[in-house]
Amino acid sequence: MTTTQAKRSARSWPSGWFGVVTWLLGGLLLAFIVLPVIRLVTTSSVASLHAAASTAAVRDATLLSLQAAAITAGIATLFGVPLAYLLARGSFRGRSVIQSVIDLPLVVPHTVAGIALLFLLGRTGWVGAPAARLGVSFYGSQWGIVAAMLFVSVPFAVNSARVGFEAIDPRLERAARSLGASPWHSFRRITLPLGLRGVLTGAVLVYARSVSEFGAVVIIAYYPATAPVEIYNLFLQSGLTQSASAAVVLLIVTLATFLVLRTLASGQLLARVDRAYR
Amino acid sequence: MPTADRGLSVSGLSAQAGSFTLGPVSLDVLAGRVLVVLGPSGAGKTMLLETIAGLRPQQAGQLSLAGTDITSLPPERRRIGLVFQDAALFPHLTVKENVGFGPRARRAASPDGSEDLLRQLGIAHLAGRSPRSLSGGEQQRVALARALAIQPGLLLLDEPLSALDQPTREDLRTLLQQLLAEVEIPAVHVTHDRDEALSIGDDLAVIVGGQLRQTGPAASIAAEPADPDTARLLGWSELGYGTAASGTVRIGQLVLRHAAEGLHGPVHAFYRPEDVELRPTAPDAPADGSITAHVGRIVHTRPLARITLGCDPPIAALMFDRDIDRLQLTAGNPVQVGLPPGSLRIFQDRIGPLIRRDSGAAGKVRGERGQPSPEDR
Repeated sequence: MTTTQAKRSARSWPSGWFGVVTWLLGGLLLAFIVLPVIRLVTTSSVASLHAAASTAAVRDATLLSLQAAAITAGIATLFGVPLAYLLARGSFRGRSVIQSVIDLPLVVPHTVAGIALLFLLGRTGWVGAPAARLGVSFYGSQWGIVAAMLFVSVPFAVNSARVGFEAIDPRLERAARSLGASPWHSFRRITLPLGLRGVLTGAVLVYARSVSEFGAVVIIAYYPATAPVEIYNLFLQSGLTQSASAAVVLLIVTLATFLVLRTLASGQLLARVDRAYR
Repeated sequence: MPTADRGLSVSGLSAQAGSFTLGPVSLDVLAGRVLVVLGPSGAGKTMLLETIAGLRPQQAGQLSLAGTDITSLPPERRRIGLVFQDAALFPHLTVKENVGFGPRARRAASPDGSEDLLRQLGIAHLAGRSPRSLSGGEQQRVALARALAIQPGLLLLDEPLSALDQPTREDLRTLLQQLLAEVEIPAVHVTHDRDEALSIGDDLAVIVGGQLRQTGPAASIAAEPADPDTARLLGWSELGYGTAASGTVRIGQLVLRHAAEGLHGPVHAFYRPEDVELRPTAPDAPADGSITAHVGRIVHTRPLARITLGCDPPIAALMFDRDIDRLQLTAGNPVQVGLPPGSLRIFQDRIGPLIRRDSGAAGKVRGERGQPSPEDR
């Protein structure tokens, strides 16, 4: 504790004209983020927020968004962590190719991703057709929404967990193996607890990315509408002021859930999770 | 008592990492004996340990422990305790949980003896602490306890003392010696430090560039290194290159009669600096092959002092600090320098000095071709 404090006090602010310029540029950027949010929040009265929140369409859309984003975070973590571990530990051929594939969704425009997914998951698609025979439809369903969210957000799960795993001394696993732990046992008892912060951070980022996703979702599932889609509808139908109240409701809900999850992931409650692992 | 059926037997072991090839290595470590693998950095020492532990794929060879073939067993089933250079303790577990990790992973039915081990290693009071809060020496004790807690059939120690400061290292070295003598587990200890090797090892295996150069009892390898690299690793200083002809070896001004048997042509000579004999210069020409030199620098590193001597070839003598006054050695004064037969090791040098006094690559190339003389004392 004392060393962290010492480090903090030893850290010096940039001074002189360089300090002024860094503060000025940084401050402008902060204002650019904060001002629209403040303007948005101040347009809506408490009464209009209450009205928007009690509208069935807005409420359903918000709940759908939260639910789909939570499911997406779960799926992304379940499938992302093994891949992250392989990328962190393996020095196999094709490793960089796999890493590029993982990063691909970051550069694909989200509407393009939605169209591509629709080709695959639509009623005549490679996956969509057999799924339809089993009674599962992606087009215009929650599964389609989750698929769209997953596609655009999964790089965050893999990369965050990978960075977490890479920071762990590989000798710890070797020590665990020599002490009698199987590969799974040493992963569960050593690597996963030590990389848990990266894994949880990845899950929170996936959640945040998913809850705010519009482009890919609107193409694969215009209805049922997620919160961003519903707000877009309101904007088209009733204009700027009408959509603002719903927007603020979504903003408050997503921001609140994001902050709670991030606090969970960043250590306050992590210690308890950590202990539960033993 | 050392017994063969409880030891480690390595035969023809080889492994590959990129362009580096280790082996083939063949070794035997009897129960109750400590084999020290001595070699310079990058010689493949750690790789050898990791291959024995099963943490690295091997290309060829057989491993057997206590009479059982373990070649194809995964690391978790080999029952080999491993201690790393910087302890590699699990940072999220307490000291006690670190030591209990092995028995728990093995689902040991009997109550594990980790409490006893902690007490034996003098770290019982640290049981509840986090590894991060421990000193280097304490961490290494915990690492030892953790490795011993699985009641291993073999202990592998990868430079466990080299990251510690001098006093801690000496403490822990003593503890390690006692412990290894007590547990009667065969142990392989890897180091690049000659003092450590000779104080801990019963047997030595010298490894250079992934190849095993010489194995045998520590004392006999130290006294009779088989090649120039091994000689250097064991504290022999280079005297230089010379020629052997008609019963004598000439190196610069030195003419050695006693060392020439069986040698012919270019030779590469080494000497023990602590065996160099210094005498006041005598007026009559000495007939014993000694030469006259001027005292150069005297470096006091108590209790020893190192004296560089201006002569051809250049020689350095190592002696007790207190003897310097007795011999009245002062910089610039002449002194008679003698090299007794036992202090010399002369190797036949087939290719001769390509680049004189080159300590690096050229030395290695020569080392591989250099042959020990059949008799040099």
